[in-house]
Amino acid sequence: MRTDGRRVLRITASVAGALLVAYVVLGVQQFQNFLTLGAIYALVALGYTMVYGIIELINFAHGDVFMVGAFASMWIMTVPLGLADRPIEDPIRLAGVLLIVVVATMLLMGTIGVIIERFAYRPLRHAPRLAPLITAIGVSFILQNIIQAVFSPSPIGVPQVFPRVKIDLLGGSIGVLNIFMVIVALALMLGLQLFVGRTRLGRAMRSTAQDRQAAELMGVDINQTIAITFLIAAALAGAAGVIQGLYFGSIQFNLGFFAGLKAFTAAVLGGIGNTTGAAIGGFVIAFIEVLAAQLGFSRWSEVAVFTVLILVLVFRPSGILGQALGERA
Amino acid sequence: MRLTKIGALAAASILAFAACSTTGTAPGGSAAGGGGTGKTVKIGTELPMSGAETANGEPTANGVKLAIKQSNAKGEVPGYTLDINVQDDAVNGAHDPQQGATNMHTLEADTSVVGVVGPFNSNVAQAEIPISNAGGLLQCSPANTNTSLTYPPDAAQYRPNNPDKINYIRLAAPDSIQGPAGADYVFNDLKAQSVYILDDTETFGVGVGDSFAAQFKKDGGTVTKRDSAPKSTTDYTPLFTAAAAAKPAAVYLAGTTPTGMGLALKQGRTVAGFESIPFMGPDGVADLGPGGTTGATITVAGAAAHDVFGTVAGIHDLPSGSTFVDDYTKEFGKAPGAYSAAGYACAQVIIAGIKAAVAASAADMAATREGVRSNSIKAGNKFDTVVGSISFDKNGDITTPFMSFYKTDLTASGGKGDWVYVKQQAFTDPNAQ
Amino acid sequence: MRSSLAAVVALARRHRSLTILIGWALVGALLPMIVLIPPFSTFQGQGLWIGGFANAGVFILLALGLNIVVGQAGLLDLGYAAFFAIGSYAYAFGASSFTGLHVPFWPMLLIGALAAATFGVLLGAPTLRLRGDYLAIVTLGFGEIVPAVFLNADKYTRGTNGIGGVAQPELPIIGKFTFSDSLPFYVTMVVILALVMVFIYRLQESRLGRAWQAIREDELAASSAGVNTITTKLLAFALGASTAGFAGVFNASKLGIVSPDQFGFAVSFTVLAMVVLGGMGNAWGVAVGAFTLYMIQSVLLKQLNQFFGGLHIPVLQNIDFVQYQFLLYGLALVGMMLLRPEGLFPSRRRQQELHGDADTVDGAGPTAETSDALADR
Repeated sequence: MRTDGRRVLRITASVAGALLVAYVVLGVQQFQNFLTLGAIYALVALGYTMVYGIIELINFAHGDVFMVGAFASMWIMTVPLGLADRPIEDPIRLAGVLLIVVVATMLLMGTIGVIIERFAYRPLRHAPRLAPLITAIGVSFILQNIIQAVFSPSPIGVPQVFPRVKIDLLGGSIGVLNIFMVIVALALMLGLQLFVGRTRLGRAMRSTAQDRQAAELMGVDINQTIAITFLIAAALAGAAGVIQGLYFGSIQFNLGFFAGLKAFTAAVLGGIGNTTGAAIGGFVIAFIEVLAAQLGFSRWSEVAVFTVLILVLVFRPSGILGQALGERA
Repeated sequence: MRLTKIGALAAASILAFAACSTTGTAPGGSAAGGGGTGKTVKIGTELPMSGAETANGEPTANGVKLAIKQSNAKGEVPGYTLDINVQDDAVNGAHDPQQGATNMHTLEADTSVVGVVGPFNSNVAQAEIPISNAGGLLQCSPANTNTSLTYPPDAAQYRPNNPDKINYIRLAAPDSIQGPAGADYVFNDLKAQSVYILDDTETFGVGVGDSFAAQFKKDGGTVTKRDSAPKSTTDYTPLFTAAAAAKPAAVYLAGTTPTGMGLALKQGRTVAGFESIPFMGPDGVADLGPGGTTGATITVAGAAAHDVFGTVAGIHDLPSGSTFVDDYTKEFGKAPGAYSAAGYACAQVIIAGIKAAVAASAADMAATREGVRSNSIKAGNKFDTVVGSISFDKNGDITTPFMSFYKTDLTASGGKGDWVYVKQQAFTDPNAQ
Repeated sequence: MRSSLAAVVALARRHRSLTILIGWALVGALLPMIVLIPPFSTFQGQGLWIGGFANAGVFILLALGLNIVVGQAGLLDLGYAAFFAIGSYAYAFGASSFTGLHVPFWPMLLIGALAAATFGVLLGAPTLRLRGDYLAIVTLGFGEIVPAVFLNADKYTRGTNGIGGVAQPELPIIGKFTFSDSLPFYVTMVVILALVMVFIYRLQESRLGRAWQAIREDELAASSAGVNTITTKLLAFALGASTAGFAGVFNASKLGIVSPDQFGFAVSFTVLAMVVLGGMGNAWGVAVGAFTLYMIQSVLLKQLNQFFGGLHIPVLQNIDFVQYQFLLYGLALVGMMLLRPEGLFPSRRRQQELHGDADTVDGAGPTAETSDALADR
């Protein structure tokens, strides 16, 4: 227990140090962009890492679940809530709207996540490794095409309900929306940590991840545990989709591909299977991208991210926080 | 040894089959059927007709359809009925050079096609011109603006089979005019001394961005920063945040809305320093679509689309007395797109070529095809078209390029927002000097 | 009758390479004839069909190459288009007005393949020791990096404009191939495919082929049995890459222009769908799968568009079938994995692996699961 506490302390100190460095390197305005982007990547990366942790599947469709989440939130805002593309000034009404949109999207996406797992992945749980991965690629295509068919292939505007108010903070002017996004993301991550660490279901998830057969022998309902993992992963991606739409204002059917790839890189970077690592990885990727933009190398930012991915996998496959897994066949 | 024999055998047998089948022609996709008697001759269209780029291709193809319909009604080419062969180069919602090449093979193989209107995108043209050149088929692009397509010596590389046969002409003013025209507008009319340029890494965007930058510097302005962001970019805020440091007085979005410029506009407006300064873009941004049109700049950018200016590489005011806009609106139930008139004019150039070839009693379709091609670039030939009297120089560029300027007005079109016309300007033949 | 058939089969078994060559010669000669018969003849003219077949050949070649990597050695490569791009650019550098070099097509075929293989080894050497799904992601990243580098290094590649004026092949009697006549390209492609196929079958039955198979089935066991897994995998990677290099050189010369947007992930995934659909591991199956998918996307979907566009049925009329090509791939990938993971034309070996597993999966057979458990220790 003591070593665990020390480890937490060490990670917290390193994160604080890294944030300070990022703040100094990027300056306030870019620091805010970095945190916002990082929050989205981190939320999506968590889904990759959780699913991988429990069934060792790279859920290739996860980026597209995130994309569907963005579309779902757009639909919830425009159709059932009938919101127009203008800021809601009344803070209480705004809070109500955001709560409804975030919760409804998370529930909807969680359901979709469970459905995907039930019909696309569960039948293949005992198949050779590549089979579910190929299925996941197929699911990714199907999700993209459904959205393209329903919402057209063009970029679609998301109602900009959040007022673009800025406040003076840290010596710069910071968007309230950005603060909101980061807080939502951190709250969700904290909630996840507590859930995994403190609840019965969370314990079931951890034990299934460690040794599925042993967990089963101990009375864990494997199917239910895996389904819940998918539910949480997809719900988090849904939440990321909501803030993506709110912040960037426009969404397109193919936005999940690259976002998913980057989030996966984040998960690998942080040590796949490790939720804290995934969150940190998300911020690292965001840092690389924002730094590239800041220095005028934006056209190379994709290359930089994927090069990092390859280098990490080659030299430290266990990631920043992952335990040394050794070589796995 | 065994191998070569079998290969040779296969080759010989295939050659034999091919030889006895050259008479079979393909029916192709015909849409505008004619009731007239006599032979059918077709004009092809090769444009993006689906996905996010429907707004580019469809109104342009409609212009061609209208030209064919009206020409048939007048019986302009005696003994012939004109028809259309429509091809779509969009794959998964975006124009695709490989698909364009396949389409061009299709059109080239349809011997009744004597001229093609298209393509819309410059990188598609790069893949198509070698094919149409080998088949001696005239391509008239209403919208391509990349300089390398016509300017020697670059353009020669697209004609490996018939280097001396120019078979590609275009109505749009090339980037070497559009970029500088935008630069002059920003510097002289908008009175901005400094500009931030963002391109989309695509053929068109980079080309027009380069020529904008060169002219803007020549005018005495400063380019504070130049960025490139591929169309997969979803977050443009860090770019604008970084660019804000130098406090540019205007932004030039060198690219198209389907490749991210609409999103860049929307997000750029949220960054301090960019809330109210003018944004300018080429015709990929100034798509002339009113708010609510799927994928149009004003739709994508929403409330951020204020104070946006744009150039369109063509004429706005049609010559007086033209009934084109009315005819088009009556036929298709909506107003023409940015390149509808240019599509119509391209069809007119091809029809004029058919008339000339028929008058010279062309022996067959191949001779008609060649007649259409040579007629279009023959020195001294002028064409009376819906966009005025035009002619093409020895490289295939229009000798009287026009540039039209527009700006957004979010109160236009009943509050949905629309592009309003500002002015148009005539330029001189870019290849004259 | 039956005995003579049996004799032919026996003969075919004994002279496999010859059979493949004759098979390809027959296919190559018959295809242009079949398309003269309705309904094919009503879709498009023979010249177009042949051009289409030559393009299909590019994808067959790619699928055959990817099949070595995915189907035979069991390594999932999601960035295969990168090697296609390297082959294409190698040819564009070697034979275009851009560089001023004019190396003839035929040696460039080999040079392009070598260039692709070199990059295959460079990428593979450090990454092939990773487990399968990590490797998939590394290759996916590589597949994104390569076109991005060709796009951004515009000083050396003309960037987004691409390199135009890429030379066409030349032969003594025929002369220079032209854009208007696809037949020489088609014949060239048939010959390349026949040779590659012979090579692949020889490989499959060689020591190396058996080593791939062993690795695919159980890497740990293969390694304990003395198979050098790294070298073996590296060879699969290099051979797969070089096949893509061939395809790249051919495609560059047929299209006449090379630009970065031709090599996106869509190409990698299309080829993967072809391999999966055709049946991983079985070269003929993969070839048929690639041919079928290519024809569906390039001819059938268009015909459907025209057909339903002509009929005035409200909804169907407006569906653009070509747009939904990737929906088709998606459904094919999921459907195949769930219902028939061995593909439409499975290799016998692969079928045994997949279905043998299914039968013993709850027991303690040498399944994927137990071998993973072993590896996880």
